[in-house]
Amino acid sequence: MARAKIKRGSTSVDMTPMCDVAFLLLTFFILAAKFKPPDAIQVSPPSSVSNKVAPQKDYINVTISKDNKVFLDMDPGIKDDVLDELGAETNMTFSAQDKANFKDAGFIGVPLNQFKQFIALTPDEVKARAMQLPGIPVDSTNNQLATWISAAQAARLGQTLNYLIKGDDAVKYPTFKAVIDAFKKNDIYKYNLVTNSKAVPEGSELYKKNMMGESKK
Amino acid sequence: MAEMEVKESKKKGPGVKKSKKHSTRVDLTPMVDLGFLLITFFIFTTTVQQPTAMPLNMPKDTKDPNLDMKVKESGSLTLMLGKGNVIYYYYGNDPTKMQTTGYKDVRKIILDKKKSTPATDLFIIIKPDKDATYKNAVDILDEMDINDIGKYAMVDPTPDEYNLIQQTEKAGGVQ
Repeated sequence: MARAKIKRGSTSVDMTPMCDVAFLLLTFFILAAKFKPPDAIQVSPPSSVSNKVAPQKDYINVTISKDNKVFLDMDPGIKDDVLDELGAETNMTFSAQDKANFKDAGFIGVPLNQFKQFIALTPDEVKARAMQLPGIPVDSTNNQLATWISAAQAARLGQTLNYLIKGDDAVKYPTFKAVIDAFKKNDIYKYNLVTNSKAVPEGSELYKKNMMGESKK
Repeated sequence: MAEMEVKESKKKGPGVKKSKKHSTRVDLTPMVDLGFLLITFFIFTTTVQQPTAMPLNMPKDTKDPNLDMKVKESGSLTLMLGKGNVIYYYYGNDPTKMQTTGYKDVRKIILDKKKSTPATDLFIIIKPDKDATYKNAVDILDEMDINDIGKYAMVDPTPDEYNLIQQTEKAGGVQ
């Protein structure tokens, strides 16, 4: 009797669908990735051994540029309320247009008297004059940063905001202290300093502590 | 891998030249490899680059001297951060005995102090002066973390201390 012939199928698989899937995923990830808008203010923060991730929600971020100017930006979600509170505190009135402008503006880098003109600028215009921006005054006599923080605090009453401070390596300590003072005026004592992470030096106390903690787990 | 088999062309009658028809199929494996490589790359780069934050808790300013924290003289080490990445340090409360060091060597000084004092007495006072930079302050706070110092405070130098730093800097010719 003749044996039934086993058909030998080809071992090669059609790769086309897999290729399709791969590139579909690739396209999806590239498009879905939230591109961080390039910061108009270039800051290179110092490094620390901290491994806590900087909070990305409900934040107030104070940036100190290397020429000791102070800039402020915040979570877009709270901007509306903050502007309302700011209006109430400083007797300024903001139109619907101002609010829309503020929502689009990336950060605040001028004293309050120039604020409305500033938020009306397009991002490109802001970028072009980023170096000439005066920053928010933080002197002890005219601490407008404290006003902003107070407005933000009032806008999110009872909720915790994350206060981030991002300073350049070259920032002089008095400016940093002035920023801390602005927070202190509003009875805020807990901050997060944005830093680059660096490895814990081997053999140091913290290193040993971390190793102990890991071996216990 | 690739299917490159050539199908036999049908006979087209006599005199017609047989033209070899190659399969149009291409091996897609390398393309798939590349695709997934890129996906992996993008996923890794998007999640890794998150800035870290160092928590900083400051004490409440108080005018009431009774609420001021008392520090044992034997357990205190004062680090004054000066111009040009220099640290001036002294033990106890005699600023005139201050010595000079840098950011690389300060760890040893802190550790020595930590070893020679009971943990409950140890208190490090950080006094950044007007010419210190933010980086200096962060570095020294980081050093507290690294050396696992439980109690430390960041305050302004007194006018006397500031003068002392200025004199030392003048004498040392620090710009």
